[in-house]
Amino acid sequence: MAKAPVRKQDNRTFVGLLVLVGVIGVAALGYVLTRPGEKPLTVDPSIPAGTAEGYLLGKPDAPVQVMEFGDFECPGCGNFANVTEPDVRARLVNTGIVAFRFFDFPLSVHRNSWTAHIAASCAADQGKFWEMHDRIYAGQNEWGLSGNGEVTTNPIKVFRNYATEIGLDVKKWEDCLAAKPHEARIKANAAEGTRRGITGTPTFIIGNKMLPSDHVIGYDEFKRYVDEALAAAGPDSGKKAAKVAPAQDGGAKKGQ
Amino acid sequence: MTRRNIIAVLSLAGVFLATYLSLFKLGIVGSLACGTGQCELVQASKWATFAGAPVALWGVGFYLAMFGASVAGSFGPLMESRAVSIALVVMSGWGVLFSGWLTYIELVKIEAICRWCVASAILVLALFALSVGELRERRRAG
Repeated sequence: MAKAPVRKQDNRTFVGLLVLVGVIGVAALGYVLTRPGEKPLTVDPSIPAGTAEGYLLGKPDAPVQVMEFGDFECPGCGNFANVTEPDVRARLVNTGIVAFRFFDFPLSVHRNSWTAHIAASCAADQGKFWEMHDRIYAGQNEWGLSGNGEVTTNPIKVFRNYATEIGLDVKKWEDCLAAKPHEARIKANAAEGTRRGITGTPTFIIGNKMLPSDHVIGYDEFKRYVDEALAAAGPDSGKKAAKVAPAQDGGAKKGQ
Repeated sequence: MTRRNIIAVLSLAGVFLATYLSLFKLGIVGSLACGTGQCELVQASKWATFAGAPVALWGVGFYLAMFGASVAGSFGPLMESRAVSIALVVMSGWGVLFSGWLTYIELVKIEAICRWCVASAILVLALFALSVGELRERRRAG
């Protein structure tokens, strides 16, 4: 006889819990949907991809060919650029052992990444790709990801400061940003990465080895792969390997 | 509260979790609150799409189906229905298999873990355990 009131009480608890979960869920989704919007550059999807051309650092016919598929907003790429890459340049690129090519691989999940890649490609027009590359990575915390999203909705403002710092003709650089003549190249570089089965950044291809992007690679590990590639390459492999990716310096300088 | 009620509450939570991941995958929200882990790497991988649709969107469908069946079976004529219990076991069993496969992909292929995916996998496992318990209880009751 007492079963009906108990069931009624149960139903009330059940419906109450459903309402509670519903309200919390809707509020949480509402929050993530209404966070301040971001203003990245828009990409015209009708522009066809061009030919993949990495930005070269070092001698194009160096015995070990290294390709990095990187995203300017990816923290792991930033870590590599800031911590490991200076050693790589000083000890492997400047010594003529490695030809290092950076290929754009902007991940769609990063709102400001395309803008950063376009900013760097426009710096390449003035022979300063690597200066912009380094500045963008060094300043990731000023324009990139932080906890729950990008720290700024206006990355161009930050990149304009970098353009001034590295001595670009800012007016020319801004004209390039507006015209975006390098979109096809960036797309092509990303498509090249996809064609090679790359899913994350930074991904390095050293000789014939593609390294997983699951951890930040340190200099010793990087050097180990270079040594393996050097041993496997043979004396005149540099010229052969250089054909893998055409040598487009994009404002390259020979190490730093 | 019956096990079926708990299944409904957990399924509703799952609907919101999977919706959040879907909104990210569809580019509607810009980044995932991931903390430790590599949610974006997992979501950007080729395995984040299944049969032409984002895996997270399949998750929304799954949780909605579980929610619908458990709510329908919590009131009125379906309250004592064994068919509902069997449907819940079958659906959640499929969910466990799919989640297991996704977790394997994360650990072995992508070599990255998304904490939201792990949360979903645990949720699915709990739904399956509750569904099996519920079916057993119904069998015992005749």
